[in-house]
Amino acid sequence: MKKYKQSGSTPDFTPRTAMEEAARCLLCYDAPCSKSCPAGTDPARFIRAIRFRNVKGAAAVIRENNILGACCANVCPCDQLCEEACSRSGLDRPIRIGQLQRYAAEAETVYGMKVLSPGSERGAKVACVGAGPASLSAAAELRKLGYDVTIYDANEKPGGYLTYGISKERLAQSVVDADISKVVELGVNFKMSTRVGTDVKLEDLRENYDAVFLGIGLWKANIPDIPGNQLPGVMSGIDFLRKSCETGDGVSAGKRIIVIGGGDVALDCASTALLAGAEKVAVWYRRSLREAPADQEELCSTVKLGVSITTDMAPVEIIGTDAVTGIRFRGRDGVSSAAVSCDTVIFATGQSADTMLCEKLELTEKGLVAAQDGRTSLPGVFAAGDVVHGGKTVAAAVGAGKQAAHMIHSFLTEREAR
Amino acid sequence: MAPKKDLSVEFLGTRCENPFFLSSSPVGADYDMIAKSFRLGWGGVVSKTIGIIVSDECSPRFATTGREGMPWLGLKNLDQISEKPTEYNFEQLFKLKRDFPEKIVVASIMGSNEKEWSQLAKMAEQAGVDFIEGNLSCPQMTVNGCGCDVGSNPEMVRSFTKVITSATKLPFIAKMTPNITDITLPAKAALEGGAAAISAINSIRCITNIDLEYNTALPVVAGKSAISGYSGAAIRPIALRFIQQLRSDPAIGKIPISGIGGIETWHDCVEFLLLGCRNLQVTTAVMQYGYRIVEDMIDGLKYYMQERGFDKLDDFIGLAHSNILSPDKLDRDYYLLPAFDPDKCIGCGRCYISCYDGGHQAISWDEAARRPVLHAERCVGCHLCMNVCPLNDVISPGEVRFKEGRSKHPVPCQHDYD
Repeated sequence: MKKYKQSGSTPDFTPRTAMEEAARCLLCYDAPCSKSCPAGTDPARFIRAIRFRNVKGAAAVIRENNILGACCANVCPCDQLCEEACSRSGLDRPIRIGQLQRYAAEAETVYGMKVLSPGSERGAKVACVGAGPASLSAAAELRKLGYDVTIYDANEKPGGYLTYGISKERLAQSVVDADISKVVELGVNFKMSTRVGTDVKLEDLRENYDAVFLGIGLWKANIPDIPGNQLPGVMSGIDFLRKSCETGDGVSAGKRIIVIGGGDVALDCASTALLAGAEKVAVWYRRSLREAPADQEELCSTVKLGVSITTDMAPVEIIGTDAVTGIRFRGRDGVSSAAVSCDTVIFATGQSADTMLCEKLELTEKGLVAAQDGRTSLPGVFAAGDVVHGGKTVAAAVGAGKQAAHMIHSFLTEREAR
Repeated sequence: MAPKKDLSVEFLGTRCENPFFLSSSPVGADYDMIAKSFRLGWGGVVSKTIGIIVSDECSPRFATTGREGMPWLGLKNLDQISEKPTEYNFEQLFKLKRDFPEKIVVASIMGSNEKEWSQLAKMAEQAGVDFIEGNLSCPQMTVNGCGCDVGSNPEMVRSFTKVITSATKLPFIAKMTPNITDITLPAKAALEGGAAAISAINSIRCITNIDLEYNTALPVVAGKSAISGYSGAAIRPIALRFIQQLRSDPAIGKIPISGIGGIETWHDCVEFLLLGCRNLQVTTAVMQYGYRIVEDMIDGLKYYMQERGFDKLDDFIGLAHSNILSPDKLDRDYYLLPAFDPDKCIGCGRCYISCYDGGHQAISWDEAARRPVLHAERCVGCHLCMNVCPLNDVISPGEVRFKEGRSKHPVPCQHDYD
């Protein structure tokens, strides 16, 4: 079997090829790439730094703007964000921004740089619930502003979805750990294996901290309500990936696996299952490839691995008596149908919030935390990331976490002024 | 198949099948190399310089300038004259002339005193070569009184040339150094000494880069380095300038000139021919790409002649010479506004940045449309915008406007920007 290559098929940049790529950049005046980065990583600035031989400066730009800059560089669907916006597309093809970001981010490690330092202590304390992208980003930003920050998370290790949700082939744990080490270096406290809601009450946090940030993500799998969805052999994508991440080198799920979904989670599940030794892995998606939210490069490399993708077919029934033996699909056209034999069905069909931590917290119709400019219905409690916007990119969570941190900052400075 | 065109040209009373010669350097070091080049189409060779002394070379010998992923712009070398024995070198030239009688073989020689110059000239004549070129210009000789020590001293040029021209009946080409303020002084001295032609230019004394580890120039030779000759595409503009200056001097203008300096393509060749050169010499591009580059010089020159309706080289040799004036002779009555094509523009805004920061603030930026807007009343027609545009047909010469009080007249403008 071909080796699964991290993030697409092109080899990593060397100093020479990175310079070549950076020299392709038109150095646009209004930099649409930077405008389209939800994390505010400012690719235009770091590409220009590479172009003018300031690779350390490029690494610093990334770290200052995006505490998870290395993770984002590995998993961001750039082709739908910065690279899609790239002016060079009008000339030939966009700059490989994600890959340049990976190159520059690596320079930080290579040169042993310490980019960030905490702000002068303000004497105010903030609790961040969740140790995923949104919370890490908020925590780092708050530390830079001089707050005493403590992260609470139910898991053993920080990173949230980065650690427990994305396959290690696509995002090496060492990259996640390196990014998180920057948060640790800033002096953020971590209380791991501590679930807010059970181990510690949200009310207690509100009492003991000046503000609370909720960045708890979406950890409840959406499994469509179709016959047979309780059969052994049916599982959710996040559970599958989580197990795979925990065991380290993939978990053998079955021999013939059907993955339902069209996002990066579905692709992650498919490649993870194949690498764990499944005989046949097929992705079935209810819409078209064009509509699929998955990163196109990721899609290509998954297909190259040997995963087949069938589109415009939605599951209607899982077949089996004691265990899964197959699955039935109906076409989007209302005419087509298919019955496929398999022993495992993985649903990567979205997640929702597990918002049982406080009854008083107002939720939206979709079961997400209702928040306006980061402020929830509870005074002094802020929220951002997937739990508010419903599952976007790591970059979006980083951006939202950063914004929420500044909301918390103005909330606390206003309170101080009063 | 390129059109049939006669590329032959008369040089120093001898018909050359084409003007493309290898210049004196490692590319013409021995029989096998030169024979290979002849078979590929080179019309002649100026041999690696032969002296009585045998040079003692250092390692490494080269450094380059340029950008990652791009061909060298310039090459710095520490190479001196031939490392092989004198007799052996002349024997090689003898065999070449015997086996390739239709090709032109030029012996490049360098003496360190009058006796050596005379002896070498006689040996060259005995070897049966067509012409002799005197290396009066190597910028990195380790022996005093050689190379550009001579070439920058008109008195020495005159006396050594006299020695050579009295020792042989073969036409003598004096190779000029660019490491001098007024190149016409040594050129005139050479003519007074009896030289039949001038070749220009030899390499330019340079430091291409400073090594930040050893704090010396490149190449690093045991932790040290030296100033030495620069060649390649980067020096072509300087070579063209020297040739124009030589041709502009009434005492020199009629003398045949062999043009040297950064020639890579047929287009470069045409440039030297248009300034009035009757012969062209190439090394750096051959070191970079091999002898085969002559194939595209031959083809390209033929297509050029077909496009322009020329039958022979003499139809266009020297055509550009009289159109290059001193700056005070230029028409300063008008300015040429740039014309923008918004449909072809890709919205990078580089013209806006450069016009503001390096021009006359005549372009503003339409943020919504992502297009430049020209304010003709501020524009001086410098065309910096056109030069920074990454596309070649978005900005082109537009309206001709005359300065106040100047009379209107036809203004020919450049059209071909490829």
